[in-house]
Amino acid sequence: MSKLKLKSTSVAYLVLGFICVYNLMPFMWMLSTSLKTLQESYAIPPTLWPRDLTLSAYSKVLVYGNFPLYFANSTIVALSTALFSTFIGLLAGYGFSRFFFKGKALLMGIILSSQMLPGVLLVGPYFKMLSAVGLYDTRTGLIIAFTTITLPFSTWMLKGFIDTVPVELDEAAMVDGCSRLRTFFSVIFPTIAPGMVATIIFAFLLAWGDLLWCLSLTTSESVATVTLGLTRLVTQFRIIWPELMAGSVVGALPPIALYLLLQNYLIEGLTRGAVKE
Amino acid sequence: MSRKKLVVIGLVISGLIFAIGPCYAQKITLVFSDWHLTEPHWEQALKEGIAVFEAENPEIKVKLDYVSYAEKETKYATALEAGKGPDVFHLHAYSMRSFIERGYLYDITEFIEKEGSCWYGKDFLDPWYPQTLELVSKDGRYYGLPGDFMAMVLFRNKKLFQEAGLPTDIPPRTWDDFLAYAKKLTRDRNNDGRVDTWGFGTVGAISPGFELRFTPVLFSHGGSYLTPDNKRCALDTPEAKRAFKFFIELYTRYGVIPPGVTARNPGDVREQLATEEVAMILGSGWTVPIVDGLNPDLKASEVLEASPVPVAAGVSPKYTTTAWLSTWVIGRNTKYPEAAWKLLRHQTSKPMTEKWFRDARVLSSRRDVSGGLESLGITGYNELLFDKFARVIAGELAHAKFVPQVKEWPQIIETVNTAVQEAFTKAKSPEQALSEACRRINSILK
Amino acid sequence: MKFFKIKPCHQGYLFILPCFIMLFLVLGFPALMAVVNSFTPIWAKKFTFTFDNYVKLMQDPVFWNSFRVSLLFVGGTVILHFLIGLVVALALNSQIRARKFFRVLALLPWTVPDVISGLVWRYMYNPTQGIINYLLMKSGLVDTYIEWLASPSLAMPSVILADVWRGYPFVMVILLAGLQAIPRQLYEAAEVDGASAIQSFWYITIPSLTRAIVVALALDTIWQFRRFGLIYTMTQGGPGHTTEIFSMLVYKQYFKFFNFEYASCIAVFMAIILFVVSLPYLKLIVMGSKGE
Repeated sequence: MSKLKLKSTSVAYLVLGFICVYNLMPFMWMLSTSLKTLQESYAIPPTLWPRDLTLSAYSKVLVYGNFPLYFANSTIVALSTALFSTFIGLLAGYGFSRFFFKGKALLMGIILSSQMLPGVLLVGPYFKMLSAVGLYDTRTGLIIAFTTITLPFSTWMLKGFIDTVPVELDEAAMVDGCSRLRTFFSVIFPTIAPGMVATIIFAFLLAWGDLLWCLSLTTSESVATVTLGLTRLVTQFRIIWPELMAGSVVGALPPIALYLLLQNYLIEGLTRGAVKE
Repeated sequence: MSRKKLVVIGLVISGLIFAIGPCYAQKITLVFSDWHLTEPHWEQALKEGIAVFEAENPEIKVKLDYVSYAEKETKYATALEAGKGPDVFHLHAYSMRSFIERGYLYDITEFIEKEGSCWYGKDFLDPWYPQTLELVSKDGRYYGLPGDFMAMVLFRNKKLFQEAGLPTDIPPRTWDDFLAYAKKLTRDRNNDGRVDTWGFGTVGAISPGFELRFTPVLFSHGGSYLTPDNKRCALDTPEAKRAFKFFIELYTRYGVIPPGVTARNPGDVREQLATEEVAMILGSGWTVPIVDGLNPDLKASEVLEASPVPVAAGVSPKYTTTAWLSTWVIGRNTKYPEAAWKLLRHQTSKPMTEKWFRDARVLSSRRDVSGGLESLGITGYNELLFDKFARVIAGELAHAKFVPQVKEWPQIIETVNTAVQEAFTKAKSPEQALSEACRRINSILK
Repeated sequence: MKFFKIKPCHQGYLFILPCFIMLFLVLGFPALMAVVNSFTPIWAKKFTFTFDNYVKLMQDPVFWNSFRVSLLFVGGTVILHFLIGLVVALALNSQIRARKFFRVLALLPWTVPDVISGLVWRYMYNPTQGIINYLLMKSGLVDTYIEWLASPSLAMPSVILADVWRGYPFVMVILLAGLQAIPRQLYEAAEVDGASAIQSFWYITIPSLTRAIVVALALDTIWQFRRFGLIYTMTQGGPGHTTEIFSMLVYKQYFKFFNFEYASCIAVFMAIILFVVSLPYLKLIVMGSKGE
């Protein structure tokens, strides 16, 4: 038994070693470039770690550029999306889990299949709709879009979580005189907390990292997001890599931080929601 | 407080509101968008020009909107479709036809008619070169005023010529001369065993700037994109095939273009010239100031020379190069058409276009600035006529033809751009890439 | 309160109503508009029903190229996501120390927006200034600058590799969850019976993972079909049309050439294909979760 264990463990460590390098190398490169001077970033052959360490790229991006604005916009949009999506997903998940009504399977199927509508199909007409109601080029328009895109996943995940709480507990609480709302908070909520966190993170990540909708639905600098800001830096005449990488580091920090802080919930949420016996 | 005092105070306040109110109410904000704002020397010039305008029109405030060269069409089109968009903006002739057809631009015909006459007594539109006015009009209505108008010419680095043992004062007149020069200019300058300088730099990336660098080669070989009625692709003629093959083989066969051409956009090519990675490029009025800004040590205005685009041996086409035209337009969703017109008129006025030349070395589409009205006793702008580069560029205007003005042009030129990429990377042979592009263009035009 | 007068089964409808309203507004209605658009002649001012766009689509070599490229991209990335995800999940599932640490590390690339991963990899692939060529040349494996993103044959593999980096962790997490749900006793019993490692893998691990595999593959396929940001920042569909996945094609038609109607046509067609392809997976998932 131990021989098998030893072999499989060492193989596992080997694999994980490769993964470490594979996963981390781009991050390292991103960080390293962001600390270089412009001259050094053009050096041939490239240097692995900056010879002249400098924070000038960061200062250019954070102080002189519009990055703080992009950052704020992304935060507002992503956070709002996360909250709305989770809330509405919760309502829907609860409805699907706790009630029996005609056409439930069909409706559930519709929600799931709506995920398959590609963004490029929708952005054009949606953009016309937004312009008609004056929501083009606004954060609100984006929030509405992102909330809807993340709804199917939120609903499905939260439903899965609520399902794990036996209905009997509900009924017991209600027999004791609790209203549905009380029941929800005392019985269901504690158990599905990880699921809710997972949903929040997931919706946040999606909204934070989107490009297509932002590109199509906004045009002013004042509502541009981090992803948009970065791509716009690229389409200029010269690509100033240190600044681009500095912006990327800053742009990647919130999702990474969020993930690191709440990864337990995220993984539990994903696994429980996705894999059930 | 006594009632009398209250009435007096009320009257004073109303009086103040009536006096000051209109001043605030009349403050109009126009949004002005221009990709040139992202270029330092242009940005300065534009800001100064706008300051003059705001001083002359105190009730109008101009807000600047920056947009990148590659994305401007997309950005403007989506904004205008959505009912928004800038009030006044600068457009590349490349997209003028599709913008007019889509109805994105404000019809300024009435404003023009109201203007009456120009400063030397003729019609308001008289100063502009007639061919430029064609590009901004449709069915007798005008949708913009022509802006910068320059022919594409060949720039060469005299110093590199000298180092390669080539005569510095004789520009290549035919493409065969050009190729011979380019081969000699492609060499190992720092003696490290590797070639580090090449004869020619050009655009191979998908970029609006590709059109300006490929078209002169096509035209000077006697080829054209479309048949004269603009209904069919004309890239299957022997002349066009020859031009295409020549362009491609500069890279694939003779190696006089640096590696990685399919990733080069206009900015990269200018940088190649500035760092002496290449000895020749096609460019125009904007080239020297930008190159100078990239590498002041090069002393671009001394070291560079401009000459007409070479021609192919055995052909004498009427048009050997293409012209760049930018246009100033008003967005159709503007809330203040009159104010926007004032700004438009200001940006295209004689003093302003002379300023654009002084600051950015761009030639104007006004003949009273760039020349062409000598018969009326009006000479162009002195500084322009004596500038060694502007002289050549203005002189080539007579040999410059615009690309076809059809609404499908962006898609057509991208098809050619892609075919060039495929041939550069040897994914297809030049003949194959071109014939497939031609077929595709025909289906686009149907 | 009035709420309680409503029958329970109807109460259910109320709960799911907000969700459906939003879905209809943002997804349903625009999709309908797009379908209508696709039957409108190109650049027409009024609506007249025509099949022209679809006919043109069928004859358009650029469209079929995009179809092929999309299949290549989705197929390549999903398969690699799965293989690498499986291997890593197996590694994480075994008796190793600092499992938490490795798990954190493994999931890291997925949190990064695909725009950012596109940019970083684009720089890494830079022929002269990028680290990949540098390492390859230093180790003596190659001796010239490889044009990763500019070469028609290498562009797609390069893009796939970048996406694999970004995308495998998600699949890995789902597979890991599935692995952890397999009871140890099964393996122990198998070992007692004399089964080799490979046999236990094949006969225990894989079958128990079926549901997780289906979910992971289905979700991944759907999401990969919709990928846009990565391609936009890395190649914009080039060189030529070699990385022009269909979302890139539609975007160009819509926002660069202003062929709104044709773009809708392409999008509708691809949406139908995606729907047809994912239908079996969906059925499996919905049936599985019904379980009541």
